Amino acid sequence: MLKVVVAHSEDPDSAFAIAAVLQECLQQLAGQSPQAGIVLAAIDFDHALILQRINECFPGIELIGGTTDGEMSSVLGFQQDSLVLMLFGATEDIEIRAGIGHGVGADAAIAAQQAVAQATAKCHAPLRLCLTLPESLTGNSVAILQGLKQALGQVPIFGGLVADQWRFQQTYQFYQTEVYSDAVPVLLFGGNVVFSHGIASGWQPLGNPSQVTRVEQNVLYAVNEQTALEFYQHYLGQLPPSSEYPLAVFEPGAEHCYMRAPSVYDPSNGSITFFADIPAGATVQITSTSHDDILAASKISMEMALAHYPGARPAAALLFSCASRRQILGTRSKEEYQMAQQCFPVQLPTCGFYANGEIAPMEQAGNSQFHNETFVTLLLGSN
Amino acid sequence: MTLSHVDLETKIQELERANRILQKKLSRCESDRQHLEQTNQKKETLLRTVIEELKESKNQLQERTERLEQAFHDLQALQNKMADLGSLVAGVAHEINNPINFVAGNLQPAQLYVKDLLYLINVYEQCTPNPNQTIQLAIEAVDLEYVREDFPKLLVSMSEGVKRIQEISKSLRLFCRMDSDRPQPFNIHEGINSTILILKSRLKANDQRAAIDVIKNYGQLPKVECFPGQINQVFMNILANGIDALDEAQTQTHRPTAAQRSPQITIQTLLLSDTEEIEIRIRDNGVGIPEPVQERIFEQLFTTKPVGQGTGLGLAIAHQIVVQKHHGTLTVVSDEDQGAEFVIRLPIKMMVAVS
Repeated sequence: MLKVVVAHSEDPDSAFAIAAVLQECLQQLAGQSPQAGIVLAAIDFDHALILQRINECFPGIELIGGTTDGEMSSVLGFQQDSLVLMLFGATEDIEIRAGIGHGVGADAAIAAQQAVAQATAKCHAPLRLCLTLPESLTGNSVAILQGLKQALGQVPIFGGLVADQWRFQQTYQFYQTEVYSDAVPVLLFGGNVVFSHGIASGWQPLGNPSQVTRVEQNVLYAVNEQTALEFYQHYLGQLPPSSEYPLAVFEPGAEHCYMRAPSVYDPSNGSITFFADIPAGATVQITSTSHDDILAASKISMEMALAHYPGARPAAALLFSCASRRQILGTRSKEEYQMAQQCFPVQLPTCGFYANGEIAPMEQAGNSQFHNETFVTLLLGSN
Repeated sequence: MTLSHVDLETKIQELERANRILQKKLSRCESDRQHLEQTNQKKETLLRTVIEELKESKNQLQERTERLEQAFHDLQALQNKMADLGSLVAGVAHEINNPINFVAGNLQPAQLYVKDLLYLINVYEQCTPNPNQTIQLAIEAVDLEYVREDFPKLLVSMSEGVKRIQEISKSLRLFCRMDSDRPQPFNIHEGINSTILILKSRLKANDQRAAIDVIKNYGQLPKVECFPGQINQVFMNILANGIDALDEAQTQTHRPTAAQRSPQITIQTLLLSDTEEIEIRIRDNGVGIPEPVQERIFEQLFTTKPVGQGTGLGLAIAHQIVVQKHHGTLTVVSDEDQGAEFVIRLPIKMMVAVS
């Protein structure tokens, strides 16, 4: 039986925060030792110190983590500037192993393969699931996911791209005791683990459909006959493009769309860099949403995950929500997590964060895809 | 009650912690407020722009509706005119038919009479080898030898001419036939042939190009339940469009490939037993249709022809007749510079009763 514990501190002082979190974890573990963990931290913490303290408390633990745009847990609900630690207890039938790959900006595929190779070298059970918290600002997120898929084959991949509180300057990824940037950490689950997930967005295309006329992977240069920046300024005025106003992308001939959110832009040539690729020749539309649409989508995601859970009762829930959702929800951000609590039949150890992009298959047992503006619920447990 | 030193220490630590958290939350509140203000400002601008776009789109729709209404009225007037003209032409064709039948019917006995008269002259000449001077002069005056040789040829030529008038009259009656309110069994090949005959003058060579060669590859088709007058209209619109494309090919010097080919229209018909449909493929080897035009070619009021030359209704009407009236399909396949092919599929039996 998989035992999962979660601790959460809102103390902005790194030493006090990690001390409180570790104390709470030790109490909940009641003598059981954890085999792996996920740490989610606000950008301003001393991350090296936090990792060091975790390792001192639980030597050799398989640990990954990253910085966020806001944290959630079953302990304190939604918080900003806080620290969350989720630990997975050691069991005979489930193996959880961590790995890291560097240099996603230079070669995302090699970095992803490096991370998977490192984790699989330690794992003997058949792989069931991959969790990942990759860099969001230096590379192409679709290329990272592609690299993970190549290395993992059919193993479903879930996760969120780490964030930096809407600054879009520097994010950090964690592996064991090390703090990285430009890296992709993975946590592979092997053995008797069961899971289900749900995914929903809530954004709707709003403006006139326009043609992508120049794009290179995730850098959009021109839409119709204007620069990408001019296209955005047409809708948003002189304020910079931002990810709460993503583009709905319709591939040529496709009826359904997916979202692509802007990350940074270059005023010198009017280009905008998105978190993932936009195909050439696609039709794009600016999108918008409302508080109620976002929260309704979150509920759909959770209900979908619960409806498909194959085991008797999940041991934990992981939530990956887009930073743009938090940005728009503002003071109502806490309602996203509250909705989760209402949906889950019992108090479930839960952790999650607001991310710069989400990874999950569209359907159960489907092919993992990169998303923006979505809420991903992942339920985990053992048979 | 006094607190112990340890209690005080704990209390201070708790207060310090609460202070740290509050300080952090305060600074966070400020930055969140700024972000939210920006988000709201963007939303305001976005909504304003979208409302503008919607207004513009509403105006465009209104203009389009007005243009469509106008086109509809024009079309109705044109349709009424065409119906009148059709019934007039069918009437004239019918009226011509009777006198032509008299001529055709009398030509055969006339040929026999001429044969008899020429025989009689031969006999007379044999019996009277040396006729008197008056007769001799009369023979020379009428150039009997020439008349004897030319008269039978003249009658054959008249007979040929009458046959052609009969064919034209039949084609006109076929093309202009008035549809009843129910579909009727129709010989598709007859419809195509009559349309080609009516377009004959446009197929001939002109200053710009050689004559258009029409190649027919007809399969074995059963009679098709349809509204024949409307289906003929479809053939007319598509064939006229093909001729326009071939004319255009000759004038476009920047497209030498299309201009060099000898103009050709190929018509292929076949029976699709699996789906109980027939297929008619009408292909020209003109300039072809660029992809963006292909996507809009069946839209009402869409035309690439110069102002005054195209109404943008011909192919839209053809599409409407085939798809809406006959539950068939009309598609176009074209590689630029390689000509275009229109593919019509019609069910052999109309499944839905049309009121």
